[in-house]
Amino acid sequence: MYQRRRIRILIGILLFVALLLITLDVRGGGDGVLDRLRGTATGVLQPVQDGFSTLVRPLGTATDGVRELFSLRSDNAELRERVEDLEERRRVVADLERENRELQGLLDLEERLQFETVAARTVALAPSSFEWTITIDVGSNDGVARDMPVIAGPGLVGRVIQVTPSAARVLLAIDPNFSAASRAARTGEIGSISGRGSDPMLLQPLEPGADIQRGDEIVTSSFAGGVFPGGIPIGVVADEGDTTARLTRSITVLPYVDFTRLHHVLVVLSAPVEPVPPLEGTPGIPFEPPPISPDQDDTDDMDDTDDTDEAPEDPAPPEDLGNADDGSSP
Amino acid sequence: MIVRTVVFAVLLLTVAVIETSVLPFLPVPGLTPDLLLLITMAVALKDGPQAGLRVGFSAGLLADLLVAQAPLGSATLVLTSIGGIVGTARPYLASQSITAPLVLAFLTGAIGTAAYGSLSLLLGEDRVTWELLATSALRVGLFNTLLAPVALVGIGRLVARFPMGSGGGEP
Repeated sequence: MYQRRRIRILIGILLFVALLLITLDVRGGGDGVLDRLRGTATGVLQPVQDGFSTLVRPLGTATDGVRELFSLRSDNAELRERVEDLEERRRVVADLERENRELQGLLDLEERLQFETVAARTVALAPSSFEWTITIDVGSNDGVARDMPVIAGPGLVGRVIQVTPSAARVLLAIDPNFSAASRAARTGEIGSISGRGSDPMLLQPLEPGADIQRGDEIVTSSFAGGVFPGGIPIGVVADEGDTTARLTRSITVLPYVDFTRLHHVLVVLSAPVEPVPPLEGTPGIPFEPPPISPDQDDTDDMDDTDDTDEAPEDPAPPEDLGNADDGSSP
Repeated sequence: MIVRTVVFAVLLLTVAVIETSVLPFLPVPGLTPDLLLLITMAVALKDGPQAGLRVGFSAGLLADLLVAQAPLGSATLVLTSIGGIVGTARPYLASQSITAPLVLAFLTGAIGTAAYGSLSLLLGEDRVTWELLATSALRVGLFNTLLAPVALVGIGRLVARFPMGSGGGEP
């Protein structure tokens, strides 16, 4: 009898503590005491996880090697690697050519793609089946900060969501909580792309009738002050979606990165692109709204606006806003 | 008692590290057992509800600290409940049965995963879908069943070597 009572009391206490933790964490948002506790746990366990994964990784690699030897896949793998390399070059060249036309030679393309990065190894994956994150072996001591983009050879991997001095946790691009500004490399049409777990990613273009076709490459965009530098390949359009009688259009995108085989990644240390301030608020640039003539109707106003050449001396337009001009050129 | 506590703490830490750092790199596709849940079930089955509750609470807290997004306490709640339920049900199971622990491993794996996912869903984690919940629960249940014999033998030896103290929770 005494034992049963004791067990009931223990059940009550432990379940109460668990519910209390849930309440505190949900109410504390993302920067509470419990979140810092998680960061500390990650920092403490990271060296051990690193050691274990270093011990196990050769086993997996050796098994893969033997398997490939017996199935005579080595030649095939080499050829595929070459094809992938050539495909990647083709994609990069196509995107660079489009940007070159858009920016009319104002930006040096090579300089745009030379990110300052730090290399990292994946040391742990999320223990839950419901979140797509990885832990990497670089942290704030290496210059890593929250929201920095993470890339691998084929393209975008995700962004940093938690940093400790020697480790960081990365939210993968396929996690449903992930979203990023993006654009089509061929036409420059912009939109928002988000993850859907094990399903292909979802792209929602800003303009539902945007010219985006199956096979188009999708890259990141720095539009609207997004955290990612523009031009990082994300994936390829698998289904262009229904364009008729819809206010929004959903396009499925297959990511380039194989998220099940992430061993080495690069963290882009470049600061996120600052949002462009509104013209009215810019000191030193006088801004006056255009006069509205009361004796002209709306149609005339629009025509006048189109024909006038009195545009203010704008600073260079943001990268993606230049797409509209480019789209009208042959 | 202190030695037993230290041994189980080291065991849980090792299992958590293996789950996050070793299993993903093994050349077995889709290998996603929930080892902490399996350990909780095995301890509760061998030592009763009090030990199951304690180990379940510790394992759940450890699992919560290793995920980034689900509310802290979700896994604690689920694993504590699993430890308590299995420990309480222990007297009603045939002690020499081979199939009962395997069935229990499948059920705790599937139900524990489904409960954790459902709790996340209720707390606003919209990345969890019902389809994902069902497939994950079945997969964890299957892998936990496969690993159950190893876990039960290992935990059996451990609890025999480090039995609960005089104030233990034998029902």
